[in-house]
Amino acid sequence: MEFIYYFGDVFAPVSFLLLLVGTIGGLILGATPGLSPTMAVALLIPFTFHLEAVQGLILLGAAYTSTVAGGAVSAILLKIPGAPANIATTLDGHTMAKKGEGARALQLSFLASAVGGVFGVLLLIFLTPLLAQWALAFGPSHLFWLAILGVTIIGSLDSASVVKGLLSGCIGLWLATIGFDDIMGAQRFIFHSSLGGGINIIAALIGLFAIPQVLTMFAKGRRNDNIEVIEVKKHAIMDAVRELLSRKRAMAIGTAVGSIIGLIPGVGGQIAGLVAYDQTKKFSPEREKFGTGHSEGVIAAESANNAMVGPSLVPLLTLSIPGSPTAAVLLGGLLIHGIFPGTDLFDNHPDVAWTFINSMLIGQILMCIFGLYVAGLAAKVAQVPQSVMAAVVLGLSVFGAYSVQSSMGDVYVMASLGVMMFFLERFGFSAAPLVLGLILGPIAEANFIQGSMIANATDGMGTYFLSGALNIVLIAIVIASIAYSVVMELKQNKAQNEEASA
Amino acid sequence: MKKLLAGAAMALMALGGNAAQAQDYPDRPIMMMVSYGAGGATDFQARIVTMTAGNEDALGMPIAIINKPGAGGRVGWNWFATQAESDGYTLAAYNIPHFIAQSIKGGVEYSADTFEPIANWGADPAVFVVAADSEMTSMEDAVAYAKENPGKLTFSGAGLFVGHHIAALQLEKAAGVKMAYIPTKGGGAAAMKAVIAGEVMAGVNNLSDAFRAQEAGNVKILGVFDLERNEFLPDVPTMKEQGLDIDNASVNFRGVMVPKGTPQEVIDKLSATVPEMFANERVAKKMKAGGSPMHIMTREEVQEMWAARQATLEELLAGL
Amino acid sequence: MSRTQHIIPSGIVFLVGCWIAWVSFTQQPSEAFLFPRLISSAFVALAGWTFLKALMGWSKVGNGVTRTMALNLAPGLIVSLIYVFWLAKSLGFYTATSLAFFVLLSLYDPAPHNQVKSWTKRAIITACFIAVMYGVFGLLLKVYTPREILF
Repeated sequence: MEFIYYFGDVFAPVSFLLLLVGTIGGLILGATPGLSPTMAVALLIPFTFHLEAVQGLILLGAAYTSTVAGGAVSAILLKIPGAPANIATTLDGHTMAKKGEGARALQLSFLASAVGGVFGVLLLIFLTPLLAQWALAFGPSHLFWLAILGVTIIGSLDSASVVKGLLSGCIGLWLATIGFDDIMGAQRFIFHSSLGGGINIIAALIGLFAIPQVLTMFAKGRRNDNIEVIEVKKHAIMDAVRELLSRKRAMAIGTAVGSIIGLIPGVGGQIAGLVAYDQTKKFSPEREKFGTGHSEGVIAAESANNAMVGPSLVPLLTLSIPGSPTAAVLLGGLLIHGIFPGTDLFDNHPDVAWTFINSMLIGQILMCIFGLYVAGLAAKVAQVPQSVMAAVVLGLSVFGAYSVQSSMGDVYVMASLGVMMFFLERFGFSAAPLVLGLILGPIAEANFIQGSMIANATDGMGTYFLSGALNIVLIAIVIASIAYSVVMELKQNKAQNEEASA
Repeated sequence: MKKLLAGAAMALMALGGNAAQAQDYPDRPIMMMVSYGAGGATDFQARIVTMTAGNEDALGMPIAIINKPGAGGRVGWNWFATQAESDGYTLAAYNIPHFIAQSIKGGVEYSADTFEPIANWGADPAVFVVAADSEMTSMEDAVAYAKENPGKLTFSGAGLFVGHHIAALQLEKAAGVKMAYIPTKGGGAAAMKAVIAGEVMAGVNNLSDAFRAQEAGNVKILGVFDLERNEFLPDVPTMKEQGLDIDNASVNFRGVMVPKGTPQEVIDKLSATVPEMFANERVAKKMKAGGSPMHIMTREEVQEMWAARQATLEELLAGL
Repeated sequence: MSRTQHIIPSGIVFLVGCWIAWVSFTQQPSEAFLFPRLISSAFVALAGWTFLKALMGWSKVGNGVTRTMALNLAPGLIVSLIYVFWLAKSLGFYTATSLAFFVLLSLYDPAPHNQVKSWTKRAIITACFIAVMYGVFGLLLKVYTPREILF
C-alpha cells in the first residue's frame, strides 16, 4: 500500500501540469498519422534533461500512455494505425467510422483503453515481484512458439480469401528478413542501399496503411465532396459506458490478454492488440460480425493495448531490462538522473518510483476524460474534404517516416510499400496480415536460431523446444488455434453450401 | 518566416565554399549522428557529453543529436562515410571496436581511413557476468567448466562483430577452449536478460549495464576485459590477473569523429576544444551518476588507438 | 472484373516469389537462409495457386482497377512519386511539401479553377498546413529534416 503515500506528489503543481501537458500532447501526437509512441517518447527525452527526475518521468510516462490510446484516433478515423498496437483497432473501428459512427467508436476505444490501462497499472503496483518472474520465464523456445501462435492468426485476419491472407503474411515474413542479420552476420536481400538496416516497422506501417488511403482518395477523382460527406452521428457518452458494460467478455479477454502478453520482453506491445482481437472473435457468439464494424473488436483491441502499458514496464523497473523500445527510452530518462531501476529505485528513490507509477494511473483517467471530450470533435475529421485529407496524410506520412530514424531510405521504403499495397488491396490482398508477418518474422527467426544454438550446446533440439511445461502449454494453444480455424472454416463452407442448395 | 529566411541564408552560405567558413567556425548549430537508437548507451552518453557545447568557452554553438540506427551501426556509419558533408557541421559518434571490426568483415562502405577522429569521451569495458545464483565465482571456474565440457558453456553477447563478440573470441583464444557464444538480437539488454533468466550460463556485457544489474542483485561480475581494474568495480579483477592473456581490444571506446575531407582548420579547432568540453565538471557528474565510465583522449591518442585496434582485430578476425 | 486484371498482379507476385526462392536457395551461408527458404517455399506455393486461379478465371475477391479510377489516380500518383522520390530530398522537405500539397489540392479540389477566390483558399490551406508541420516537427519535436537548397 506504499504507493498511496505518494499520491500527493502527483498533484504538486509542476508535476500535475506536466502530467496534463504530457497527456494532452501525447493524445495529439498519437492521433497524428505517422507518429508512434516510441518516437514521441524519444523525441521528448531532451526536454527531460532540464527537469527533475520525477517530473521528467511523469512527462515520459504520460506521453507513453496517451500516445498508445491516441493512436486509436487515426486508426479509427483514417484506417492508419499509429503503432503496431493499434492495427487491430482499424479492423472494426474504421468500418464503424465509415458508417458515421466515428464518435461511438472513439468513445468506446477511450473507455476501453482507460479500463485496460488502469488494470495494467494496478498489476504493476501490486504484483510486480511475481510478474518479474513470469517475464523471465519466456526463453527463446517459448518466444518461438508464441510467434508461431501469432502466425496461425494470419490466415483468418481481415481477408476475404484465406489463401491471399496467407500469401500477404508470407510477403510480410519475407520483408522482415531483409537487411543485415545480427545473429548470423549475413546480408540478406539488400538490393538497394536504403534496405541495409532492414525494413523499419513504423515506416512500413505508415506506408502500408496510409498510402493506400491517400491513393484511394485520389482514385475517386476531382468531384464535389458535398455529395458524399459522411454524416457524423452524435453519440452520448453514457450510452458508450452502458455499451461497454454490456460487452464484458470483450473487455475481460482484451484486458487479460493485453496484461499477460505485455509482460513478455521484446514481443508484447506489438502483438497484444491482434491476439486479443483474435481471441475475442473466437469466443464471441457474434463472430461473423467482426470486421463489419462490431464494437467488441474495438473494445478488445484497445483494452489490450493499454493494459499492456503497465506490465510492459515490469522488466524495466525490477530487473533493469527494457522490454520494449519505449522502455529503453524511459531507461535513458532514469539514468540521466542517476537512478538505477531495480532495487535501488524502490529502496532509495521510492518517491520517484511511486510518483511515476501513480502518475500513470491518473494519466489513464485524464486521458479518458480528454479523449471523450474530443471524441465528438475528432470524429468530424470525416467531414474534411477528401482532396485536403489526401494531401495532409501524404505530407504527414513523409515527415513521419523520415523522423523515425532520420532516414530518407525509410521514406522510400514507405512509399514503395504503400503503392504496392494499394494495388494488391484492389485484388484481395490485405495489409493487416502482411504487417503481422513483418512483426512476427524476426521474433520467430531470431528465437529459433538462438534457441537452436543453445540447444546444440546443451540438451539437443528436441528437448529444448518440445519439453517443459510452458513449451507444452504454448504448443497446445497453437494446435487448438489451428484446429479451431479449420473446424470453423469447414462449418462455414457447409453453411454456405446449404444456403446455396436451399 | 524569419527562420525560413535564416534557412535560405544558411543554405546560400553553405554554397559559398569552405575557405571563408573555417575562420569563424562554428557559426551555426552542429549536428552529431549517433548510429544507435535513442535511449541506448551511446545515445545517452552522447547527449550528456555534448550538452555544454553551446557554452562560450566550448564551441559556442549547440550540438544536436541525430539518430540513424540500424544493422548494428552500419546504417549510420555508411551514411556518414558516403553522404555526410565534410564541412565540420556534421559530426558522428564512433564506437570502437564495432566499426573497425565491421569494416574488416566487409560489406560496408567505411573503414578507419574514411573517418578523422576528434576526441574520445568514454571507455566501457566488456565484463564477464553470471547469474547471481550461479556456482561459478571466478573466471577459473568458468574456464574449468568449459575445459570439462567443450562447446557446452553457453554465453550471450550483443550480436556479431561488436565489442562483446571480440571479447568472446579473445576469451576462447586465451583459455584455449571452445565455448558456445550466443549472439542476441536487441543489444546488450537482451543479452543481459538471457543471463538473468538463466537461458544461458554466462554472458559478456557492458560494464555500465552489468554494474547496474549487480547493484540490483541480479548478476555476479567475474572479470573485466581491460588492462586495469575499473573505478566502478574496484573489487573485480581483470582477466590478466586471473591468468588469461587478454588486452583491452574489446573495450568499447566512444568518441567524436568527422568525415575525411573536413578542412584542417576545422579539425584543429575541434580537436582543441572538444576534449576540454568533455572535461566539464557538470558532464563528469552526470556521466558518473549514470554509471558510465569516462575516458578522455585527444586526437593523437585516438589515432594511435585506432591503428592499434586495426592491427589486433585483423589478426583476431582472420580466422572467421 | 476481367481475368487479365487478376493475372497481372498475381503473376507479378508469383515472379517475385520465384526470385526470392531462387536467391534464398543459392545464397550462402545456408544457416542464415534457412528461414528465407522456408518462407519462400510457402510463398511460391501460395502465389502459384493464386496465379493458377487467376489464369482459370476463378478469382473472386477484390474490386480491381477500373478505367476511370486509373485516370483519376494517375496525376496524383505521379505528383506524389515525384515529390517523395525526388523533390523532398533535392529541394528540402518544407519547400517540396508546400509545392506538392498545393499541386495536389489544385488537382483534386472540386472548386473552380478560374476564380481567384478558390486559388487563394488553396494557398491559405497550404500555408496553414506547412505552418503546423513546421510547428510540430521543426519546433516541438526538433526533427532535423533535409534542408538542401531551399528549406
